[in-house]
Amino acid sequence: MRVPLQRKVLNENDRIAGTLRERFHRNGTFCLNLISSPGSGKTALLERTLAGFDAGRRVAVLTGDIQTDNDARRLARYGFPVRQISTGGACHLDASMVDRHLMDWPVDELEILFVENVGNLVCPTSYDLGEEARAVLLSVTEGEDKPLKYPATFHHADLMVLNKIDLLPYVPFSMELARENARRVQPEIEILELSCTTGAGLEEWNDWIRRHL
Amino acid sequence: MSIAASVLDAVRAESELHGGARVTRAGLRIGELSGVAVESLQFCLEVLVADTEMSSIAFEIEFAPWTRRCRACATEFRVTDARPECSACGSGDTETAGGDQMELSFLELEEP
Repeated sequence: MRVPLQRKVLNENDRIAGTLRERFHRNGTFCLNLISSPGSGKTALLERTLAGFDAGRRVAVLTGDIQTDNDARRLARYGFPVRQISTGGACHLDASMVDRHLMDWPVDELEILFVENVGNLVCPTSYDLGEEARAVLLSVTEGEDKPLKYPATFHHADLMVLNKIDLLPYVPFSMELARENARRVQPEIEILELSCTTGAGLEEWNDWIRRHL
Repeated sequence: MSIAASVLDAVRAESELHGGARVTRAGLRIGELSGVAVESLQFCLEVLVADTEMSSIAFEIEFAPWTRRCRACATEFRVTDARPECSACGSGDTETAGGDQMELSFLELEEP
């Protein structure tokens, strides 16, 4: 007997993500999911971002890694609540990990929740975390063709951040081609350029965040 | 691997909804934009079901290509080389219509 179905494989994840999204909306929390390859600068960007916030801002960070709490320790120096999600082998975060790590936190009072995903351009794509926006980082030491190689990731992103632009004089990276490739995969993607080392472009990044509050 | 585990959870849940009937074949539809590689998923499923009561299930994975729909002429076309332009009229005003799927599309159950 053949039973036709249309059951989403990740429907349990999507259900939890839906509950989280509703909760964020209700409380006016802007939740941003940051995705990139390992080493593209997600943690550095969060460090620069937190360093620029007034101490009174209601901001928190969840940071995912397969092992270690190094990122959480780096980020905790800025005085905002930070929690490490150690996935213990999993190459991505899922909605239930986010949900579990928000327990006993004043989540409903937050204006911004940053979720730094595990460094990986493939698997995090499939998992909705209840975020309002998704940003993918691409650093200029990688290839301009990353959007074409990982179309699913760039297609599902609202923003592409081209990071480490201070290194442009030293690497054969075409910003124009990177932009064009990202727009081919996702014509509506927004694009920012910045350097966490020099601080160039951080103002535009902060404006982009502000527009979502 | 965790997606393969979710597939098995879904198969289990659906077979329970059908009175716990034994599953002989399971169909999956995996979109080009789902972020899942069909061969890897097939491999992970085989590894996970080996030596379990699900080892006799044959998994049939259908690949769903990335398609876009043209807002100007309503043509739905398969996206090649990530180009968003309409294959019929050339308009760049198109939106993704398919390719996101990651779903269980059918089960074949043993007759009671």
